[in-house]
Amino acid sequence: MTALPQLLISTVLLGGIYALIAVGLTLIFGIMRVVNFAHGEFLMLGMYLAFWSFTWWGVDPYFILVVAVPLFFAIGLGVYALVMRGVIHASHNVQIFTTVGLSTALQNVALVLWTGDFRFVRPWESSVVVRILGAAFNLSQVIAFAVALLFTLALFAFMKWTHAGRVMRATAQDGEAATLMGINTDRVYRLAFAIGIACVGVAGVLVSPLYSVYPTAGLQFVLLAYVVVVLGGLGDMVGALLGALIVAGVEVIGSYVFGSAWKEVIYFVLFIAVLVFRPAGLFGQRGAEALGV
Amino acid sequence: MRRHALAVGFFGAAALTPLVIHDGFFLDSLVLILMWGAVSGAWNVAGGYAGQVSLGHSAFFGIGAYSAALMATRLHASPWLGMLAGAVVATAAGLVIGYLSNRLKGPYFALATIAFSQVLLIVASRWRAFTAGSEGVPVPFRPGFWTLGFASKVSWVYLVLCLALAIYLVQVYLERSRIGYQLAGVREDEDAAQALGIPSRRLKVRAIAASAALTSVCGTLWAQYVGFVDPFYVFSVDLSVRFALNAIIGGVGTAMGPFVGSLLITSLETTLRAVFSDIRGGLVGIYLIIYGCLLIVVVRLIPQGLVGWFGQRIRAARRYARA
Amino acid sequence: MLELDAVTKRFGGLTAVREVSLRAGPGEIVGIIGPNGAGKTTLFNVISGFFAPDEGRVLLDGRDVSRMPAHEICALGLCRTFQIVKPFGNLSVEDNVMIGALTRLTSVSAAREEARRVVALCRLEPFAASAARSLPIGLRKRLEVARALATRPRLLLLDEVMAGLNATELGEMITLIRSLHGEGVGLIIIEHIMAAMMRLAQRIVVLHHGEKIAEGTPESIASDRRVVDAYLGEEFVLADA
Repeated sequence: MTALPQLLISTVLLGGIYALIAVGLTLIFGIMRVVNFAHGEFLMLGMYLAFWSFTWWGVDPYFILVVAVPLFFAIGLGVYALVMRGVIHASHNVQIFTTVGLSTALQNVALVLWTGDFRFVRPWESSVVVRILGAAFNLSQVIAFAVALLFTLALFAFMKWTHAGRVMRATAQDGEAATLMGINTDRVYRLAFAIGIACVGVAGVLVSPLYSVYPTAGLQFVLLAYVVVVLGGLGDMVGALLGALIVAGVEVIGSYVFGSAWKEVIYFVLFIAVLVFRPAGLFGQRGAEALGV
Repeated sequence: MRRHALAVGFFGAAALTPLVIHDGFFLDSLVLILMWGAVSGAWNVAGGYAGQVSLGHSAFFGIGAYSAALMATRLHASPWLGMLAGAVVATAAGLVIGYLSNRLKGPYFALATIAFSQVLLIVASRWRAFTAGSEGVPVPFRPGFWTLGFASKVSWVYLVLCLALAIYLVQVYLERSRIGYQLAGVREDEDAAQALGIPSRRLKVRAIAASAALTSVCGTLWAQYVGFVDPFYVFSVDLSVRFALNAIIGGVGTAMGPFVGSLLITSLETTLRAVFSDIRGGLVGIYLIIYGCLLIVVVRLIPQGLVGWFGQRIRAARRYARA
Repeated sequence: MLELDAVTKRFGGLTAVREVSLRAGPGEIVGIIGPNGAGKTTLFNVISGFFAPDEGRVLLDGRDVSRMPAHEICALGLCRTFQIVKPFGNLSVEDNVMIGALTRLTSVSAAREEARRVVALCRLEPFAASAARSLPIGLRKRLEVARALATRPRLLLLDEVMAGLNATELGEMITLIRSLHGEGVGLIIIEHIMAAMMRLAQRIVVLHHGEKIAEGTPESIASDRRVVDAYLGEEFVLADA
C-alpha cells in the first residue's frame, strides 16, 4: 500500500479546493434555495482571469487573488441585481432557465472573446515538486489547498462570529421568519450570493495551474459542487467540508483504480446516486424538502 | 379548424416552399427548422406537457444518432432498423430518467439529466471498440429509401415534414385526451392529482419514455441528414438546452410552440452563421450568447412563450369584440 | 365502510397519531375536531394513502388499504381535499373539475358534461372559464370540493373547507355539504368552526396530541370535561340548532 500516502494527501489537497467551491455554493443554495446552473461559469472566469493576467503581465495567479476577491464580489453583486433577484421566489422553470441562460451566455462570451482553445497556466510553482510523507506533489496543488483552506476558515469565522453571519444563518433556516424579524432578506441574499461568487472565482484562480482552461471548463465543477453540497446538507458549511473530502476521496481512488479517463463518469454517477439514495445529505439535514424528498 | 390555423399555415408553407424555392441553402435551413422543431416538440412532451424539465435530452438524441450510424457501418443494416433500435434503447433510458423524475424535483431533476447525458458522452467518446471513440462515426451515404439516403434536399424537406407533423399531432393528442388532461393535473400539482385518482408516477415515466423515443427518432434522421455523428456535439449540454430553448421561446406546453420557437431560433442561427462565417469563426458563438439572454428574458417576461402570449391576445381581443 | 384500527403514525421522534380507531358508515357525517397539531390532517393523510401507518390498519369496505397509494384509494371511492387548497392554477375551473371526473369516465366529452353538472351543483358556473388561480379563497375552497366531488366518491374527506370563508360563503358551503349528505355521500369533516360542525356532524371524534380523547354526539362532546379542557374552553356554549 505504498500508494496510500499519495492517495490520502491527494484527497486532502483536492478536498480543500472542492471545499472552497462548495462552501460558497452551500451558502448561496442554503440561503436562497436556488440552483444556480451558472455557478461553474464563474469558476471558469476565475481561471481565465488567472490565465490572462499571467500571460499578459506575468502575474502569478496567487497575487492576482488580491484583485480576484473584490472583482468577483462585485460581479456577484451585479449578477444578483440583474438576474438572480427576480428568480428567488419564482417557479422552478424560471430558476432553471434563467440560470441556464446565464450559463450559456457566459460560456459563449468566453468562447467568442477567447476561442475554445485549451489554455494552460504554468507559473513557476507548477514545476516545483513538494514531498509530503514520501509522496510527490506539485507546489501549485499545495498552495491551492492552503489558500482555499484559509478562505474557508475565514468564511466560517465570518458566519459564526459576525452579526452579518448570524443574520445569514437565520435567513438560511427560515427566510420568512427572518423577514418577520425585520431582517432585510434582499440584502442577505445579495451578500450571500456575492460571497459565494467570490469564493468560486477565487477557486477558479487557484485551480488554473491544475486544469486546462477552456470555456466549458465550468461544467464538471458545477456538478461536482452540487454533489458535495447535497452530500453535506444544504446550507451546512461543515457538511460541505466533509462532503468535499468524501467526493475528493472518491475521485482520487476512482482515478487510481479505473484511470483518470473515467473520473468524470465516476462523479456523474456519484451525483445521481447521492440524489437518489441520500438526498437529505449524510447527516439528514433540512433542505430535503427542496429536493422533493 | 380555427385552432389549427397556425399549424396549417406553418406546415402548409413548409410543404409548398420546395415547389417555389430551389436554393440549396434555403432548403437546408427549412430542413433544420423542421428538424429542430420536431425534437423540441418531442422534448415538450416531457418538459411542457408532463412538466418534467430535462436538460439531458441530448442523451436520447445521441442514442438515435449513434444507432443509425452504427447499424449502417457495423451491421450494414438499414438505418430504419437503427431508428427502431435507437427508439428501444432510448425508451429504456427514458424509463431510467422517469424513475429519477419521481425521486427528484425541478432543478435537481434537471441537474441529474445533465449528469446522465454527460455519462453517455464520456462512454461514447472513450469506447473506441464500439463507437469509434472521440473521432465520431461517419454515416455512409447510400442512395435509396431503405438506406435513408436522399441526395435531394427536397426529399429531406418532405421526410422531416412528416416527422414534424407526426410530433405535432402527438402533442395535440396530449392536449385533448384524457391522459393529456391528467398530465396537466400532474404538472400543476402532483399531490392534488394523486388525490383525484391520477397515477402520477406512472404517467410521468410514460411521458418521459415516449419523449425519449421520439427524440431518438429525430436523432436518427438528423444523423442521416448531416452524415456524421460526433459524440461531443450529439450528447452535449448545449444541444439539450437548445431543445428546451425552442419550446420555451415558442410556448412550452403548446403544440406549435416548439415549431414557432425553432423557426425563430434556427433562422437566427443560420443567418448569423452565414453573415459571420467569413469573419472570425469564434464570432459564431454570438448567437448562443443571444440565446442565453433570450432565455433569461423570455422565461421571466413571457413565460407562456410566443404562441401562448399571442393566443392570449387573440382571446382577449375576441372577448372585447363580443362585448 | 371505513374503519381505522389503532392507526399510529410517527415522524422520527414525534408520534403524530397514536392508536386512533374510528368507524364511518355509509352516508354518515363524522366530524373530527381538536387543537392545532392534534394530528387531524395527518390522519387524513394516512386514510387517503399519502402516508402509510406505522402501526394499525385502514380498512375500506373491509379491504386493507393501509399501504395502497393515494390514487388507487381514490379509485375505490374515497377522496380528500387539502387544508391548504391545491387548485390546478393555470387551468380553468371547469378543466379542474373535469380532471376529477376523468377518474371515473374515460371519455373527455362525458367528463366535461359531468364537470358542468358538478360546477352547476357547486354554484361555480359564473367562474367556469376562469383560471383557478384567479379565484379568491372562498371560491377556491368550493372548487376543491367540486373537484373531489367529480370523482364520484362514496366517502369524502373535507379538511377545513370552511376556514377563511365569510358568513355568506359559510352558509353556502353548509348547504352544499348537506346536499351531498342528501345524495348519500359519506363525509368526514375536519373543522375548527364549531357552530358549523355542531350543526352538521352526526358524530364527532376529538383528537388531542394524536390520541382520540372522546367520541360521541355533538351534545355529549360539548359537555365532555376532557374536550372542554383540551379544546373548547369554558366559554363554549352549545346553541340550539
